[in-house]
Amino acid sequence: MARSLWTGAISFGLVNVPVALYSAVRDLDIHFRQLHGKDGAPIETRRFCSEEDKEVPFEAVGHGYEEEGEDLVVLTDEDLAAAAPRKTRTIDIEAFVDVADVDPLFFDHPYYLAPVGEAEGNLRAYRLLVKVLASTDRAALGRFVLRSKEYLVLVRVRDDRLALTTMLFHDEVRPAKGINTGGRKPAKAQLDAATKLIEALSVDWDPGHYRDCYRERLLDVIERKRKGRKITAPSPGRDAGGPPPDIMDALKASLERVRAGEGFDRGADGGDADGDDRDGDRGGLEDLTRDELYERAQKADVAGRSSMSRKELIAALSE
Amino acid sequence: MARSIWNGTIAFGLMSVPVKLHTATESKTVSFREVHLDDGARIEHRRFCAKEDKEVPYKQVVKGYEIDDDTYVVLDKDEIAAAAGDGAHRIDVEHFVDVAEIDPIFFDRTYYLGAGKDGAGPYRLLRDALERTGRAGVGRFTFHDREYLTAVRARDGVLVLHTLRFADEIVPGSEIDVPRPGRGPGEREVKMAQRLVDTLHTTFRPEDYDDEYRAAVLAVIARKRKGEEIVPEDEPAADDSADLMAALEASLDGARKGGR
Repeated sequence: MARSLWTGAISFGLVNVPVALYSAVRDLDIHFRQLHGKDGAPIETRRFCSEEDKEVPFEAVGHGYEEEGEDLVVLTDEDLAAAAPRKTRTIDIEAFVDVADVDPLFFDHPYYLAPVGEAEGNLRAYRLLVKVLASTDRAALGRFVLRSKEYLVLVRVRDDRLALTTMLFHDEVRPAKGINTGGRKPAKAQLDAATKLIEALSVDWDPGHYRDCYRERLLDVIERKRKGRKITAPSPGRDAGGPPPDIMDALKASLERVRAGEGFDRGADGGDADGDDRDGDRGGLEDLTRDELYERAQKADVAGRSSMSRKELIAALSE
Repeated sequence: MARSIWNGTIAFGLMSVPVKLHTATESKTVSFREVHLDDGARIEHRRFCAKEDKEVPYKQVVKGYEIDDDTYVVLDKDEIAAAAGDGAHRIDVEHFVDVAEIDPIFFDRTYYLGAGKDGAGPYRLLRDALERTGRAGVGRFTFHDREYLTAVRARDGVLVLHTLRFADEIVPGSEIDVPRPGRGPGEREVKMAQRLVDTLHTTFRPEDYDDEYRAAVLAVIARKRKGEEIVPEDEPAADDSADLMAALEASLDGARKGGR
């Protein structure tokens, strides 16, 4: 289990449960390290005092607050810790709300809460909160300070555990004032046709359907570079350009295509990072349909083939 | 309104809607800069070569991906950008889903979308149709050299774009150890807790909650400016929930009286 990011307590009414906070997101991003180009040695960042031109140990670094027309105020870690000590240790539940009432715009980062220690009373109180929240569609709303920032948090149940999502405060959401929200009310026929198209393209939300192609392409670029191959950028894709000349025609034609089971291949989806589409090393794969490609992928036991597009299958099979 | 940070087109079916992307959120946290405690001077971060122990100008810094201990594959900016896809300024909507079906855990950042050049008509049509259906268009777009999974929906008359996390980035609950109590909560405790939840139930109104810590930090800054010594207040430690039933009863009493 990953290390906890914070320990404290969740408190509702007079019930107080010691808990630890764990991130519900794992970092799968590809991270690069800064290196010195000349000798390939890692770069270290060191803190220097701009006045004395001397290296400064981390303990001697403070928090400077500047306001126009005012002197600089320097706070130590201890000063900051004194600002709202209870909030840094306790998630205080203030109310219970319906999850559906909370606009997703407020969501920030998801975490899990796990009880700390083996004390029977705490484990039971944790279980009680899970049980009660799971039996309603409600979430507990609270506040706490994590890494010198206060968050409004929503605590609900996910996978039989308390899941906490940090949220933005209302004044951290900018008003949408001044954003161009489009033209006149569309004609009823247009709105009906657009609604039909949206319904026709609607599916159940299935997060597993979407893979991070960027991550895969970046790993592919790294692998090619390691092998000493040249990396070229893919040819720029076609921008879709302006709006269709006739909205009604475009809607109708789209609907017909969806109903006929045809897709909307825009020619550049995915994009090949290596740009070697024309290298001819794809063994004629380009001429096969997706079904034919899928059959080959089955024989070659390509992982994740069922969710791959035609292009992705070609890429996987030409490895 | 701030300038747009990206211009492009939402494409779904054969429709294309010219749009502009705007930031929708901003942190209001009191921000500090690093200073040297001895003299209050600004701290600078300088880059040093670990091998030579010499400062390295930014021009000589390259990016490396570690494939083995201390073995890096060096990529330049263009090579990294090559992975971003074709760079077309397009939000490709693959399909539409019920917004309410997307678990909160997937939402990452939010942006506003405004109508782009010649986009007023199609924008309004898409916005109205999404509003009517309660659906969000799920698709991908490339922004700052990387590809994002996104959901586009209507909110208060404006299209918003949420970047979404991928399923494999989400930690399943099973990876978090939660020991079970020897004896689960009893029926009376559950009923009492349910009543507490009902009593404290309210409609979520974001403006009811202000960042109090921000104000507390600003107060500490003001005191420090006057030269006051900052000492933390003493707080009694909260009791752990040894007697769950008694704590629930007392809480419910308190909640009914309007306090917490």
